[in-house]
Parts: sequence; structure tokens; C-alpha cells
Amino acid sequence: MEPRKSFWKKALLWLTALFFYLPIVYIIVFSFNDSRSLTKFSGFSLRWYEKMFSDSSMMESVVYTIVIAVLATIISTIAGTLAAIGLSRSRRMLRSVVEQVNNLPVMNPEIVTAIGLLMFFSALGIDKGFLTLLLAHIMFCTPYVMLSVSPKLRSLDPNLADAALDLGATPLQALTKVIVPQIMPGIVSGALIAFTMSFDDFIISYFVTGNGVNNISIMVYTMSKRVNPSINALSTLVIAIITVVLLIVNIAPILKEKRRKKV
Amino acid sequence: MRQFRSMIYPYVVWLAIMVVVPMLLILLYAFTKEGNSVTTFRFTLENFTRFFSDAVFLDVLKRSLIIAIVTTILCVLLGYPIAYAIASGPEKSRMFWILMITMPTWINMLVRTYAWVGILQDDGLLNKLFGLFGLEPVKMMYTTFAVVLGMVYNFIPFMILQIHASLAKMDKSLLEAASDLGANRWQSFLRVTLPLSLPGVLSGITLVFLPAVSSFFIPKLLGGGQYVLIGNVIETQFLTSGDWNFGSAISLIMAIIIMLSMYFTRKVDTDPSANGRSE
Amino acid sequence: MKKGIAMTLAGVLLVAGLAGCGSSQSGADNGATAESAIEKYGSDTLKLYNWGEYMGENVISNFEKEFGVKVITEYFDSNETMYTKLQAGDAYDVLVPSDYMIERLISENMLQELDLSLIPNLSNLAEGVKNLPYDPENTYSVPYFWGNVGLVYNHNNVDPAVIEEQGYEILRNTDYKGTIYVYDSERDSFMMAFKALGYSMNTDDPAQIEEAYQWLLDMNNTMEPVYVTDEVIDGMINGTKDIAVVYSGDATTILSENPDMSFWMPSEGTNLWSDAMVIPANAPNPKLAHEFINYILTYEASLDNSEYVGYASSNQEVLDELSTTTFADNEAYLPRTGYEKDEVFVDNQVLKKQLSELWIKVKATK
Repeated sequence: MEPRKSFWKKALLWLTALFFYLPIVYIIVFSFNDSRSLTKFSGFSLRWYEKMFSDSSMMESVVYTIVIAVLATIISTIAGTLAAIGLSRSRRMLRSVVEQVNNLPVMNPEIVTAIGLLMFFSALGIDKGFLTLLLAHIMFCTPYVMLSVSPKLRSLDPNLADAALDLGATPLQALTKVIVPQIMPGIVSGALIAFTMSFDDFIISYFVTGNGVNNISIMVYTMSKRVNPSINALSTLVIAIITVVLLIVNIAPILKEKRRKKV
Repeated sequence: MRQFRSMIYPYVVWLAIMVVVPMLLILLYAFTKEGNSVTTFRFTLENFTRFFSDAVFLDVLKRSLIIAIVTTILCVLLGYPIAYAIASGPEKSRMFWILMITMPTWINMLVRTYAWVGILQDDGLLNKLFGLFGLEPVKMMYTTFAVVLGMVYNFIPFMILQIHASLAKMDKSLLEAASDLGANRWQSFLRVTLPLSLPGVLSGITLVFLPAVSSFFIPKLLGGGQYVLIGNVIETQFLTSGDWNFGSAISLIMAIIIMLSMYFTRKVDTDPSANGRSE
Repeated sequence: MKKGIAMTLAGVLLVAGLAGCGSSQSGADNGATAESAIEKYGSDTLKLYNWGEYMGENVISNFEKEFGVKVITEYFDSNETMYTKLQAGDAYDVLVPSDYMIERLISENMLQELDLSLIPNLSNLAEGVKNLPYDPENTYSVPYFWGNVGLVYNHNNVDPAVIEEQGYEILRNTDYKGTIYVYDSERDSFMMAFKALGYSMNTDDPAQIEEAYQWLLDMNNTMEPVYVTDEVIDGMINGTKDIAVVYSGDATTILSENPDMSFWMPSEGTNLWSDAMVIPANAPNPKLAHEFINYILTYEASLDNSEYVGYASSNQEVLDELSTTTFADNEAYLPRTGYEKDEVFVDNQVLKKQLSELWIKVKATK
């Protein structure tokens, strides 16, 4: 009975993986396409990689995308978690107002948020570029973190933190040693969603940036005259970078362990 | 109970500046008419009456809501078992699968959607595959099927992440207690696991439904220009016809409809422990 | 009067041309540096705001090398997007908007007059793209690319005689139901309908608009058209549909990659469009902007641009060259000029909003 059950679970997961990665494999294959087509393969070539590496604005966009996404994720995860904890202990009035306002960036079509921010930054006379881009990303990422953390807080026993405080823990200790570990899965998924949102955002980024600060999405969407496979090459590069980082993160502890054993 | 309450205040200030003020500007546009310059406007409800007096727009609104609801339901039905399968594995494999699910979302949405175009086309990958088995090619591009598929593909990771987060770290002793009390697997799932994961499902619904209602790139690429959803109408007002007033009004109408539906969703979620904690 | 202006212009051009030659030579000799650029232009960076994928591969890097400057490029994908950012106060040195948008920018005093003495290469400008109605004396704008809108069709499945006889009406010929792509833009779609009905594409007569609306509705309801924008290029290269409404520059690409495709410019008339370089009023570095515009008009830069993108060059020499070499058998490359039924879009924001709303209704009607 048991092995059969886990067989079905495994089968489901690998089917899911097939669904998720079919388009990704497709993208990688077409990055080696000889022609400009994104749908018809006419031969193997590395020309789109050449084009990508020789295009400094494309390479810059990769750097900007990663830097912005990492910063926005870190800041919005911390801010969103703290705010969610604070919110869970606020009066109901305030809580429902904040929850509604918080939903606005999630539910408004991106263009509406984008135009709102554009007018806002212009009215303040802030020079658009890296800073405005980062602020905007923090602004729309934080609600996602809160949406992920809040349900975890709701199923958390509120007396735990109070017990810790009663037993002499400082508020900071109660926070980091008691509450945060309990809601960690929510924080992690919030951070992942925030990273995704920042990494993939086009419209808001487009309208709040300036001075040549472009992210990958802006490069992709504004290839209006004809999207070409150098975009696939760029995506493949991103996949490669992520894979390498994940490998390092996962393998580094193992290597460390081995070295320690040797010593 | 008041500990940590003050942590919300900085965020309230931030929300007021970065979300409320820009939204007020949009609100101003929705209730005014003429030009993009603030000096020559007049207050009016014209933008709203224009929307509601037109059967075509109401049709578009209805279609958008239906597509978003179908997408959300599919995401719950498919996402729950997947999240459950992930959560029931050992710690290491859980991390692995969560990353497997998230990684595709870091590839640009437009690029991924273009890949689907290649896969679904009349002479695309899937139809070639069908051909190998001697099947007739199926028309998939520019259909509702393609649009819903694209939306599910794009948004289901959020659902899986949310449900997984609520299933992970669930108190296993509760399940043991249930089985000790004679509940079979199915009963303990229905009585224990499901209710406890409900907050995760609900925030998953929020994260899928909201972007699905207003999405416009997926319908445009996979459904063709004839697949007009409300997101496309708003987009056009801002980016093509330059009618910011009308665009703002439509998005306001949408926001109100969504807020109402979220309000009713929350009514369903009458979690007594949540109420007990408000003071 | 006109002659007088022309004479003065010619004189200015001649003098400027001589001066320009001298300066560009000295720049090349010295292998220009940032210091000399700052000394000469007041800054060594140029901010360009252009369409995506709209430049030859080496144009920017060659310009940077030759003049010792750095070009920061941002991209837009519609005139309205560009306008929105411009209006929000973002400053650029050179923009490349389309005809009607230039007209609007001029009328709103958002552009500065060009100092033609700094653009000696203006003499290279192709005949068909000079002095267009949106800027009759090229006071504000120097054309970059130009072309028409026409029909690409698969000559194996569609008889050329039929398409030549029916023109745009073929889009309502149910023999071709389910095999057409229509360009998803309100101006171009209404242009077709107006032309098919024999009206001006700039008409604002309510009765004619209503008639065109019905024409498009009829097409929508009977032909199962697919509305696309740039996906039309890949779609037609792959032969997914038999007939498509396409910009001539994109048609050039389609024809050179799929020999089954032909191009037809309907005799009812079409849209003569052009994208042109302009300098906004708030440009931080207008001097360098002039230098850039002048550089784009050189034979080398224009050739690189036009050959790579496939759109018709604004440089007469390049136009002649490419239409006899790279695009020799490509009937889409050379735009049609001097045809009385062809028109240029006029800026009319009220009309644009109205057509835009009607177009959404056409598409959304099931």
C-alpha cells in the first residue's frame, strides 16, 4: 500500500515538472536557432549568444534585474513579515483597512499602478532611475509577502509569544526565536513570490525607470519590431546562472562537511 | 497582546505614501474629463456611464470574470494535490520541488508564453506529436483552452507555494490523534488537514484570481487580439488611445467588484481563532 | 516665397556641409576622446529613445567610437508610451516617433527647431520622405524609416488576380474565411475600412466612421480573423495563414524568408507612414543630438540600419542600393510614392480615442 502511494505522488510531481519545463526546454532549444524565428527551428547556431554578449545594454539589464530583485526581495520580506506580525495584533478596524489597501497593488492592473507611480514620482521631481525602480519594486512586492505570512500567523498560537515574554524573553528574542521559526514556510514562499514578481515585472518598471536603467523584461517587451532568439539566449543564461547559484548553495555545505571530516 | 503592534505603523505610513497617494491621482482621473493637464478638467460621471451603458463592455467584464474564476478553480484542483505531494515528502525533497516549481517563473513571462505559442500552434510541437500517433491536428491556438492553459501555467506556482506553506510545519500530532481516535486517512484529511490548510488555499486564491482578472498579455498572445478581456481594455486606454480618464474609471470599477468578492470570500473564512486575537 | 526658402536652405546646407565635412574628418583623425567630446558638445553622453530592434547592429558602437561619446538607449513600443514618459518630464536628446505623434509634439511645443546647418547630410534624404505634411519643411524632424501598409498573401493559395481586383475587400471574402491575420491597431484597421469604402483615412465624418465600423464588424463576424501585431511576422513566415495586413518593412522580412509570400499594395490607397528623429525641447544635449541625426543619415549608418531591420531607408543612395541588391526581388521594400490615394496620418486625438473604442468593440463582438 505505502510504496504504491508514494509512486502516485512521484508520478504526479514528475508530470507537473514536465508541464512546467516543456516551455523552458523549448526556450533553450530555440536559443540555438539559426533563424530569427521563435517557432520554427532551422538549424544550430550560436549567433544569438554572440549578439547577446556583444550587446552591452542586454548584459547590463541582467545585472540590474538581479540586483533589483535581490534587494527588493530582502527588503520587502523583512518589512512585510514585520508588518504582518504587527497587523495580526492590531485593532480590527486598522487591520481590515490595511488589508484592503494592501490588496490594491496586487489587484490593480499593473498599468494603473505604473501610471499612478509615474505621476507621483514626476510630481515630486525625483530623477527616475535605480532608486525609483527599487522603491516601486519594494512597494508591489511587500503585499505578496504579507499575503503569504498572514495565513501562517493566523494558525499560530498567539499565546506562544506571550509565554516567551512572560518567561523573560526580550521582545526581539520572542520575535526571532519563537514567532519567526513558526511562520518560516510562509516567509519563504512570500520571498519566492516577491522575487518572482520583481524579476518578471515589466510595465511598472518601464514607467518608473529612466537614465538607461533597464531590466530584462523591459528589453524583452520593447523589442517591439521583432522579438528574436537573443531573448531566448538571455533566458538560457538566466537559467544557467540560477542553476549554478542553486548548486553552489546546495553543494557548499556538503563540501564543507567533507573538509571538516578530513581535518 | 499589544507587543509588536507598533510594527505596523511604519508600514501604514509607507502604504499611505506609495499606494494611497498614487491611487488618489487615478481616482481623480476616473471622475474627471478632458486632457492630461490638471488645469482643464471638470468633474463628471461620464466615464462610468459610458462603461455601464455599453453591452459590449459588460460582456467583456463578464468574460474576464468567468475566465479568472475557471483559472482559479483549476489552480486549486491541480495545485492542492501537487502541494500535498510535495509537503508529504522529506525535508530535502520538499526544498527541491519548491525550487523546481518556482524556477520557471523567473524566466520572462513573455518568453514563456511565446514558447507556448510554438507548442500549441497548428503545426506546433503538440500537433506534430499527435501526428506521430496518427491523430488529426487539433486547433488550440487562439482558443479559450489556450488562454486558460497560459493563465494556469503562469499563476499555479503561487497557489502551490501558498498551500504548501500552510501544509508544511503542520502539527503532525493532530493527525496521529485523529487516527488514534479511529479516523481513517480520508476522514482525518477532511477533518484535520483540509481545515488547517484553508488559510493557505484562500491566500492562494487571492494570488491567482487577482492577477488573472487583469492579465492582458496572455490573452493577447494565446487568444489573439479578438480575445478581449478587461485588462486589455484598460491597457488600451492608457497605452494606445490615451484616454486615461476612461481607463482609470474602468480599473476603479474592477477594483470595487474585486474588493466585494474578496469581502465575501473572507466571510466564508470565519476562522474563530482569528477573531479571538483581535484585541 | 517657397523658392526663396529653398535657396536659403540650399545655401545653408552647402556651407554647413563643408563645415561638417571638416569637423567629422578631424574627429576621425584624432580618434575622438571623451574630453574632446565634452569640449565640443558640452557633454559626452547622448540619451536616445527609440523603438526596440530598430537599429543596425553596429550603428551605435561606431558612432560612439567615432565621436568619443556614450549613447544611453531606452526603448518604447508605442508612440503613446513614449509620449507618456516624455510628458512626465523625462529628458532625452533624440526621439524617433511616428508622423502623427510628431505633429502633436510640435503643436504642444515639446520639440525644438533643428539647426539644419548642423545636419549637412540632410541632402541624402530620399525624395519620397521629404517635406511630409506633419512637418512640411522638415523644421523639426528628420525621417528615419518609412513605408506603407499592404497585404501579404500566399500566392499558392490566393490568386494574385483576385487580390489585385478586390484589394482590402478580400478581407470580407468568405472564400478565405479563417485564413486571415488583421493588424491589431485601430488606426490601421480603420484606414483599411475607410479606403475600401473610398473615403479619406483621416475623415471625421460620423456617417463615414459608422460605415467603416460596420465594415469592420462585418469582417469580424464573418471571417474569423485573428488580430495580431508583431506575431504576424513569424506567423506568415511559417505560412500559418494565407492573407495578412502588414507594414511594408515587416513584409520585406516575410518575403525574404518565405518565397511563397507576395505583397500587394491595394489600389484603393494606403497609409504612407514615417518615423523621424526629433529633438525634444528639454533635451540636455542638443548639439550632440544634431551630430547623431547627421550621423544616421550617412550612407554607412543608413545601410546598416535598413539592411538589418528591413524597413525602407530615408537615405536615397541606400534605398537605390538595397532595392537592387539585398532586396532586389522583394516587392515590399520600396515604398509607393506619389500615388494620389495614399495619405499620411493627421493628428486628431478626439478621433483616435473614438476609433480606439470602436475597434475594441469590433474585436470584442462575438
